[in-house]
Amino acid sequence: MAILTLQRDDCVLKQYAVGPLMTIGRLPDNTVVIDNPAVSSHHACVFRAGAAFIVEDLQSTNGTFVNDKRVTRETLHDGDVVLVGKHRLVFDEQAAGESTGRDAELPASSQGDTVYLKGPENQRLLAVVLNAEARAHTAPAATAAQGKLGVLRLVSGRADQTEYALTGHTSLIGRSQSTLIRLKGWFTPRVAVAITRNQLGYVATRLGGKMLVNSQPMTGRHDLKDGDVLEVGGLTLVFSFKQ
Amino acid sequence: MRPEQGLFVVCDGMGGCPAGEIASQLAVTAMLQALDAGRETAASHSVDEPGFLPQTIRLAEAVRQSNRFIYSRGQRDPNQAGMGTTVVSTWIAEQIASIAHVGDSRAYLWHSDRLEPLTRDHSLVEAGVQAGLLDREASLGAPQQNVLVRVLGREPDVDVDLSEVPVQAGDYLLLCSDGLTRMVPEQTLAQAVFQLRDAQRICDYLVDAANRNGGADNITVIVVEVAGTWWKQASNRWRRRLFRRADGDPHLAA
Repeated sequence: MAILTLQRDDCVLKQYAVGPLMTIGRLPDNTVVIDNPAVSSHHACVFRAGAAFIVEDLQSTNGTFVNDKRVTRETLHDGDVVLVGKHRLVFDEQAAGESTGRDAELPASSQGDTVYLKGPENQRLLAVVLNAEARAHTAPAATAAQGKLGVLRLVSGRADQTEYALTGHTSLIGRSQSTLIRLKGWFTPRVAVAITRNQLGYVATRLGGKMLVNSQPMTGRHDLKDGDVLEVGGLTLVFSFKQ
Repeated sequence: MRPEQGLFVVCDGMGGCPAGEIASQLAVTAMLQALDAGRETAASHSVDEPGFLPQTIRLAEAVRQSNRFIYSRGQRDPNQAGMGTTVVSTWIAEQIASIAHVGDSRAYLWHSDRLEPLTRDHSLVEAGVQAGLLDREASLGAPQQNVLVRVLGREPDVDVDLSEVPVQAGDYLLLCSDGLTRMVPEQTLAQAVFQLRDAQRICDYLVDAANRNGGADNITVIVVEVAGTWWKQASNRWRRRLFRRADGDPHLAA
């Protein structure tokens, strides 16, 4: 467990177990609160990147120093001293002891009260997070279906169009007015099927009445694949991804 | 809550700020007013939210109006300056649940024996998880659980996250404040639904569990049990619709 020890004039003020993301600053919503005019409201933050911990200055007025060198972003090593105003934070990478005392060391404000981080501080902290994202992650492997537009093509039955593009987050098939594909008939459910679009593709959910997917009765959800045949309310529709 | 309309809202006023309690009350009132008033004008807003159903667009507009309302109240009255609240709301019509949320109150759907999160917190910690900085488990212990990057009532305009999900008989929708989710892990939420299968008992159990785990914050839970297919709906659409609120230690509560 890594620990930051807050000191002023060689006096130990407090110890903090280093969490995945902690902020240092003057305002009470920080993890490490240093109520001193030399410290900016959100002065710096320390976050974990893999096995390492990194300190980043949040464009503070007086700067953040590691071992007396001014830094914007620096990986912390055992024994490093982070200087914020006149306060020193000593980084101890392999501190002995159990992590159990940790909650007691957190400032009271982080326990229950919800706070809103607004304005420039918010932007800066988010920027840190997003920067890290850019560094840590290469783009996740896209599946073939990702982002592709799905269409339902009418094979048999009577409807007002021969092809329906599934552009919405939810496309409905049924008797109701808000449906994309309108079904007729007294015993037709208001909404027979909902097709929802997500990052990975399309999911069909049967909501009422009888429905077949590839000639099999469908009850729950079904992830739509190229060429799936849907039979509902007297219509036969084929699902495909648009090239 | 307006169960007869399929409308359910949880708002959690911000602790540590003045008038958090008032903000959450105002948010609900303003939302309901906006939805009532919006009946005629619903279509006019469909441009801002392409691809969503009309009901979802109306719900989003109600949340935005609620935000403007709280913001302007906060600007006028110094005693209420800086008030804010989270909101998670669901509106179920024709078996589609529209969900609109801002902040860290959450919605889950229990569907075919699985609990699916329907919302993502607007918190610094969640942003960290999304960025790959924190893993989900570490985020649970992160000290900055409480730092929100989006709330209702603090800025003149707010982005509202929207989603739509079809619901079937046997599904459960769960709306809750962070007072529950910070104290009770998701496995426990799932277990409660799986074993109890009754909205009231799930609510009671979860509030108790949160308090047993040292619940220090307000806890609000709504469990909606989806019953019946289209032909049953008229007589018995919601077998149970329940709302329960429990206040924890007054020294720590909002």
